[in-house]
Amino acid sequence: MLTADKNKHTKNMLLDLKVMGPILALIVLVLVGAALNGNFLSAGNVSNVLSRSAFIGIIAVGMTFVITAGGLDLSVGSMAAFIAGLMILVMNGLLPSMGAGWPLVMVGLLTAIVAGTAAGFINGFLITTMRIDAFIVTLGTMGIYRSLVTWLADGGTLSLDFGMRAIIRPIYFDGILGISWPIIVFALVAVIGELVMRRAAFGRHVAAVGSNDQVARYSSVNVNKVRMMTYIFLGVLVGIATIMYVPRLGSASSSTGVLWELEAIAAVIIGGTMLKGGFGRVWGTIIGVLILSLIGNILNLTDGVSPYLNGAVQGVIIILAVILQRDKKAEG
Amino acid sequence: MSDPLTLSLNGICRSFGPVQVLHDVDIALHPGQVHALIGENGAGKSTTMKIMSGYLAPTTGELTLNGVPVSFMNSQDAEAQGVVLIHQEFNLADQLSVEQNIFLGHEKTRGLFLDKATMQTETRALLKRLNCEVDPSARVQDIANADKQMVEIAKALSRNAKVLIMDEPTAVLTAREADVLFEQVEKLKADGVAILFTSHKLDEVKRISDQITVLRDGHVVSQGPASDYDEDQMATAMVGRDVSSLYPVRAGEIGTTAALEVTGLTVPGFAEDVSFTLHKGEILGISGLIGSGRTEMIEGLVGLRSATGQVRLNGDDVRFKSPSQAQAAGLCYLTEDRKSRGLLLNKGMRENLTLQSLPDFTNWLIDHTAEEVALTKAIEEFDIRAPTRHVAVGNLSGGNQQKLLIAKIMLADPSIVVIDEPTRGIDIGTKQQIYEFIHALSAQDKSIIVISSEMQEVIGLADRVLVMRTGRIAGEVSGADMTEDKIVRLAMGLDAQKEETV
Amino acid sequence: MKFTKFAGAVALGATLVMPAFAQDTKVIGVSIPAATHGWAGGMNFHAQEAVKRLEEVYPELDFVLATASDAAKQVNDIEDMVATRNIDALVVLPFESEPLTSPVKAVSDGGAWVTVVDRGLSIEGIEDLYVAGDNAGFGKVSGEFMVSAMPEGGKIVAFRGIPTSIDNERVAGFEAAIEGSGIEVIGMEHGNWNRDDSFVVMQDFLSKHAQIDAVWASDDDMAIGILAAIEAAGRDDIQFVLGGAGMKEMIARTRDGDAMIPANVTYPPSMIATAIELTAVGLTSTAPVSGTFVIGSVLVTQDNAAEFYYADSPF
Repeated sequence: MLTADKNKHTKNMLLDLKVMGPILALIVLVLVGAALNGNFLSAGNVSNVLSRSAFIGIIAVGMTFVITAGGLDLSVGSMAAFIAGLMILVMNGLLPSMGAGWPLVMVGLLTAIVAGTAAGFINGFLITTMRIDAFIVTLGTMGIYRSLVTWLADGGTLSLDFGMRAIIRPIYFDGILGISWPIIVFALVAVIGELVMRRAAFGRHVAAVGSNDQVARYSSVNVNKVRMMTYIFLGVLVGIATIMYVPRLGSASSSTGVLWELEAIAAVIIGGTMLKGGFGRVWGTIIGVLILSLIGNILNLTDGVSPYLNGAVQGVIIILAVILQRDKKAEG
Repeated sequence: MSDPLTLSLNGICRSFGPVQVLHDVDIALHPGQVHALIGENGAGKSTTMKIMSGYLAPTTGELTLNGVPVSFMNSQDAEAQGVVLIHQEFNLADQLSVEQNIFLGHEKTRGLFLDKATMQTETRALLKRLNCEVDPSARVQDIANADKQMVEIAKALSRNAKVLIMDEPTAVLTAREADVLFEQVEKLKADGVAILFTSHKLDEVKRISDQITVLRDGHVVSQGPASDYDEDQMATAMVGRDVSSLYPVRAGEIGTTAALEVTGLTVPGFAEDVSFTLHKGEILGISGLIGSGRTEMIEGLVGLRSATGQVRLNGDDVRFKSPSQAQAAGLCYLTEDRKSRGLLLNKGMRENLTLQSLPDFTNWLIDHTAEEVALTKAIEEFDIRAPTRHVAVGNLSGGNQQKLLIAKIMLADPSIVVIDEPTRGIDIGTKQQIYEFIHALSAQDKSIIVISSEMQEVIGLADRVLVMRTGRIAGEVSGADMTEDKIVRLAMGLDAQKEETV
Repeated sequence: MKFTKFAGAVALGATLVMPAFAQDTKVIGVSIPAATHGWAGGMNFHAQEAVKRLEEVYPELDFVLATASDAAKQVNDIEDMVATRNIDALVVLPFESEPLTSPVKAVSDGGAWVTVVDRGLSIEGIEDLYVAGDNAGFGKVSGEFMVSAMPEGGKIVAFRGIPTSIDNERVAGFEAAIEGSGIEVIGMEHGNWNRDDSFVVMQDFLSKHAQIDAVWASDDDMAIGILAAIEAAGRDDIQFVLGGAGMKEMIARTRDGDAMIPANVTYPPSMIATAIELTAVGLTSTAPVSGTFVIGSVLVTQDNAAEFYYADSPF
């Protein structure tokens, strides 16, 4: 009986670790950061870290749905660069006729959302209707969008007109009550995403499709539509992330958004979503994004670790987070 | 063969945590004998087999080989000592050849290289011993299920198995394939191999076993020579009550209004020009050999496959492009394949139960309380036995999975249900319960189509039986004409021949 | 820039005497890294411009231009040029020195003319012509400007590019130039010649250090990210940011007297055009063009900024 109790106890610990793992890792990082540098917990630094997490964070929420449904999207980084470029071109192009002002900013925002929706639809269409593997489709569109933005920028950088830059700048740097817009939007997207994943029929359908698409199909779930919606949802979120991104520097180039897709995927996996689909949690993804941002922030704020090793530290943390969450090996 | 072995379990108990699943089990497997282990799902058959073959250790009790106590460290250890378990799901690498599979992990080598010639010769010898004519170089994915079973057995023999344990070897075999298997079992018996097998098909048990052990709730409730049992006695021992009246007496009135009229339904490649009518409150059986297009025809009907033809539902012309349209019109299909098409095995009962009718539980957000209420009701109504409410459905027994699947379909409140293989791989007690559910449904004026490979089942359940052959309706039988002989003749196309010769 | 003009003059001369040499078409292969950041984008622009212009000037010359996103792809490009176009000359801006050395040597051994641009190969003497940027000089000029702008010394943070030998040479030149001047480098991180990365790193530097007197951005793309971070933080302790490579927007701000950007240091992406042009001359005339041409880094200030502003260039 004693051994049985002990086993039960260990099992509960493991279960807790599975849920608590990412949160614990985040807490440890915060403690380490605070111990290493007094400015780490200052309002300015916290605001910086949260704002810069917003791009990847908003995208990663969408990625959580795509991965939970058993898909993958490698194109989001390039897509963001392309949408940013397009947004700048449209605003610059309409500037002479519309003049600098909020109406033009609105056109820019609309451009980003429409382009994101369209890009998501194209990925979704090729994957669901044309039945091409998601990995291949998005590998292809990744290259396409990256080339397109390079071409649009003629190999250089697309810069927003200087006057427009001053008007659009507050979207990144201002906010309400000292909380900047990217943080607010990120929080909203996170809350809505979590609610949809846990409590809406769509979230349940996404998990069902990722878990076993045949079962979903036989249960009257429109599998293609669910898959398609995850890619469109992600595309829209890439558009929103781009809206936050463009005001920061007012420019886009072929180096915009490089490797964002891998950061987003890493955040999703650190957060406990299963790469093979079937189970996802948005709150975990948010924690994953914060973990990744904090690693970079802490390494910048401290001396002693060579910046060359930044990637190695991230890699170790990703693997550790996944080890903590792995399923206990099934017994015979 | 080298020395035969007798494997005995003496007073074996096994617990998982606080739950004891085996109580004092004694079984002896003797060389040259076939021992059948029967019992309902969850009676402890799998655990017993796993303990015999080293996959699990007993909590208390001992195993002996030829009277000498042994304890297997793991399944490899058991194999090394001549005890091999063949799993119900084939444990073969689909992309490798028969020969490569047989020697997988035990490859013969000459120096650094594989000794292909020897392996080829030995494979041929093994297959010849089993009278199996499969090509040693054929890829496993290309061969028939029965041949796969033979390859599993050949693999076991190549390990020099003297005790062979087979978990439901005939579950995936057709009757003819099973016959081939039984012939080989006879040969193995003659070679002095001790064999234990499990099966839900009691006629098979009667036919090939020498000894029978019946397990119920982890206890051996009956044991003895096969000649002492008839099928009824076996079933009664398994269930613990009389099950001679397996099929409930037809109580409800069969309506005369047509609920579903199908005319000229064609599913390209599978079914052609199928026409039939289903009445309100009727139970219509569809029989036919595996591959006769029964399932595909219905899948075309409910929008899971593209199909042409005319369908009238309650007098209205309908055309379903997706199962959700069919469901909205009150027509639901319950798949034959509960594990890969029916249930999300890694999800809980609640998620599975409501998946098909989620919109009914959603008002912007899913109402978890309503879901829980529905689950409580389903557990009660369909007698689903689960260790906890949160168990992943993959951990439920087949019978309970099937009950959950029926509960899931019925939650959508269809007026017409098609149930494909309602009791495949399910113990006899649960079978009886499911038959009662089906009758209760028809009593509620719902129309039901039952597709089954078990002749007895369609005859026992249905008011009328359609027989399909190569994608077409070969005939219809009802009333006194509903006999196995008649159905088999239609299914094999024998009646047609007879008529031609007349 | 002087060399471009010089080469243009030689080319013009060659055009005049061309009919005497008119014979079989000769093929010049140009292999350069893809436009992954601002400077490379400018370099791509100049390469395409030069090819377009020279194809008109020299009808007997054919050009093959290939851009590579990594060193392995560049090796493939060069092998393809030799195998399928049988090139007579190769102009190469190596992605990295080590992996390109032996493939380029093979081209040279095969009898073709080889011009190496910007980054040298690992073994000397392979190339016929070396048009080199001066990375150590770039760092030195930058450091000397810092010293002159901060005679009292001060605390600066420095930004590095992508870890490569170019970056190492620049930083070494810079560090040597500020040695003993009282300028203290209180933080040095990689901004990877990328605006976004530099923005983030600068934000963190600003959190970490209460007082920063100046920033050596070492690149105009990085300078843009740094300036945005300073502006957002509202800090006024930073007196100026020194970029580099001469991006046209930044040159314009220097020209217009922006106090935050008092100077720039050139590292002209047009050096590729110089190299292509000199190669064309070498192939079509008897003018001596082999040897090493170092294109020095020049300090740009408000006084001479107008000379370095190219309205048409994307960079």
